[in-house]
Amino acid sequence: MDFSRYEFDPAIHDEMFVADGKPRDHCRAVYEALRNLPDGDLNTIQERVTRSFSQEGITFTVYGDEEAEERIIPIDCVPRLLALAEWRELEAGLVQRIRTLNLFLADAYGDCRVVRDGVIPADVILGCPQYRLAMRGVGVPNDVWVTICGTDIVRTHEGFMVLEDNLRVPSGVSYMIANRKAVKAGLRLLYRRSRVQDVEQYGSLLRQTLCELSPGGRPDPCLVLLTPGTYNSAFYEHMFLAHEIGAELVEGQDLLVNDGFVYMRTTSGLRRVDVIYRRVDDDFLDPLVFREDSLLGVPGLMNAFKRGNVALANAPGTGVADDKSVYAYVPDMVRYYLGEEPLLQNVETHLCRRPEDLEYTLDNLEHLVVKRVGESGGYGMLVGPHSTPEERDEYAKTLRADPADFISQPTLALSRSPCLIDGHAEPRHVDLRPFVLTGNETRIVPGAFCRVALRRGSLVVNSSQGGGGKDLWVVDL
Amino acid sequence: MLSRSAQGVYWMARYLARAGYLSRLLELQVQFLVDRSVEEIHFGWKRIYRCMKRLPPPGEQFLPETDEFALADAFTLADDLTFERSNPDSVWSAVASGRENARQMRHCISGEMWTCLNAAWLRIRDLEAVDIWRTPEVFYARTRSEIHNFVGVADATMYRGAAWRFMRLGRAIERAQLAVSLLLAQIDLSRRTERRTLGWASMLRTHHALEAYGRVYGIDLKPDRVLDLLVADPSLPGSVLATVQAAATELQGLDGGPGVEADAAARRLAGRAEALILYDWPEASAPEELLEQVGQSTRDLHEAVLDAFVDYAIEDSPLR
Repeated sequence: MDFSRYEFDPAIHDEMFVADGKPRDHCRAVYEALRNLPDGDLNTIQERVTRSFSQEGITFTVYGDEEAEERIIPIDCVPRLLALAEWRELEAGLVQRIRTLNLFLADAYGDCRVVRDGVIPADVILGCPQYRLAMRGVGVPNDVWVTICGTDIVRTHEGFMVLEDNLRVPSGVSYMIANRKAVKAGLRLLYRRSRVQDVEQYGSLLRQTLCELSPGGRPDPCLVLLTPGTYNSAFYEHMFLAHEIGAELVEGQDLLVNDGFVYMRTTSGLRRVDVIYRRVDDDFLDPLVFREDSLLGVPGLMNAFKRGNVALANAPGTGVADDKSVYAYVPDMVRYYLGEEPLLQNVETHLCRRPEDLEYTLDNLEHLVVKRVGESGGYGMLVGPHSTPEERDEYAKTLRADPADFISQPTLALSRSPCLIDGHAEPRHVDLRPFVLTGNETRIVPGAFCRVALRRGSLVVNSSQGGGGKDLWVVDL
Repeated sequence: MLSRSAQGVYWMARYLARAGYLSRLLELQVQFLVDRSVEEIHFGWKRIYRCMKRLPPPGEQFLPETDEFALADAFTLADDLTFERSNPDSVWSAVASGRENARQMRHCISGEMWTCLNAAWLRIRDLEAVDIWRTPEVFYARTRSEIHNFVGVADATMYRGAAWRFMRLGRAIERAQLAVSLLLAQIDLSRRTERRTLGWASMLRTHHALEAYGRVYGIDLKPDRVLDLLVADPSLPGSVLATVQAAATELQGLDGGPGVEADAAARRLAGRAEALILYDWPEASAPEELLEQVGQSTRDLHEAVLDAFVDYAIEDSPLR
């Protein structure tokens, strides 16, 4: 692989190099091996990997005006490397964070001590559109609100930072496993020599975690994965995970509630369901409680849940903890609930609901990233340094109209990692999304869905916006 | 097994059986274009359309009093039956529907089955009639062979649980209905022609039964013998008897469905279709009437299966 044109930028953390042409210790062996691969070998591997995704149908669906199109998330076959020690550090931070967020959720739907003690203003919590009144006073099994979390982590020269806590129905874990399988098959010897930590046990850990939620500890619980259906863009992942955890893949129409218990319709009659790994948003879960026009949910489901007859992973209402305004308070929450200093930093965040933050944001639009509180997937945001004065003026108008709907953050120098572009190595910006499972204990497989902004110079890694995937190798070298 | 999943694998099998059967019919029909008489070619098109219960697309020169098959060219007809997206039974649509059902039920079939089917789909997904028209028989033979492969891969890799039963049930019911439908078309059309033997040899070839016929009856081709073989020979995999027996076997392998009455009806209907052929066929004076009854039984069987296992009333179901 040709690294001769690789542009090293001292202002940006590079995942592979400490300086131009000088690899990090844990990357040296892989770098040398990649560099010595004959030209074209990696291209062939890249083509094979892409083809295998298409043949195996590892796709997401994009709906156009006329027909649906199945697309693959482009994958770059050059792995991103993380030393085991770095991973351990990240892992400890993730565990601390999820403990905190679970305590916060129990509090937010319970006594709201966090408000009474003046840590977070009441309106930030109660005014959040993701706050579910229906969950007030409801207990959840083992106090686990967030069973599956997919935290977006970025790295700069200052270290790892949390960009977003995805606590509702985070997706992407199937790509972590698919990318691993594909890249491992392409770079067999290198993989073996690099002592890469395994991620393929994710399915069995997820199953174990879900089983721990079984109501009343019912042995051998019946698990189902509730999908919005085949038209959902993440349907492949739903199918994949159902298979991995040995659960039936159900839609709302397959379930019904009778006398406070949930049943699924099987070919041998109605079978009681114990644990639902739901990939349907809160709004659509139960038309009797949330949106009454929902056809995706199950009438009466919330009643069964509140009576403790069925477990939902994740619990309804977790969205309040990954709201972009509440996010700004997570470091304070860590100190408040655990009495510890946060191991993982937040990105500095300005809440435009505060007049001084709004003023700062408007004065510095060209340097900031401004996001809508309720949006995700890279939509509705302004990347200041990549915008035109006209776009900024336009954005400022909407910002002034409803400041509480916006936050701003400095434009981060996201770390870069080598990618195969046009036959040679070029740096591209990356992030990573590890998946944190919490049942009786917290479990994290040493790996992540690593996203990469494949467009030169772009900082947007979302697959809907030209992003791709990469395999993340946690190596013990 | 989840009812909707059972329904999904059942339909997957039906659609794929349909695509395979139609590919075989078209494979032979486009071979006719090379060396057969116009009469025989028209006969073949009529039989296919009758079997698929479809009308040919009206051409610009279409006149009601003339033979529409004479006016539409082979390309138009083949296109209509192969790639027409609005025709739910075209080869393309049937493969698309089979594959879509498989995509939704991937967790119920083996990974090898999915890869095999998806590869076939990716091959034909973007094709149009012009792309295959230089050697259309190669396209049809390959499509048919890919579906045979899929069935073989399923046989080698699929867990023998309820999903397997529903898949086999779907395939058996579809094949029975198609075979009955094609036989009825053949019987009726051949009565309207001077040449009594017209189309019977291709009936054998459609069902891969030419060698079997030779082995059982020798080389002398007689329509009533062909009919006997295709309807009532249990050793011929595509015979009506073999397919209804296969349906009955799969049904027996399934525990009773929660729709108790429908379940009993399904088992009765499968038995009746089999009994009609085993006991009434040898002495039937009007074979087409008996075949109509068999066809009706398989259509009712389809309804009863869905009522027994999928669309049953919840009040009927025991809670587990």
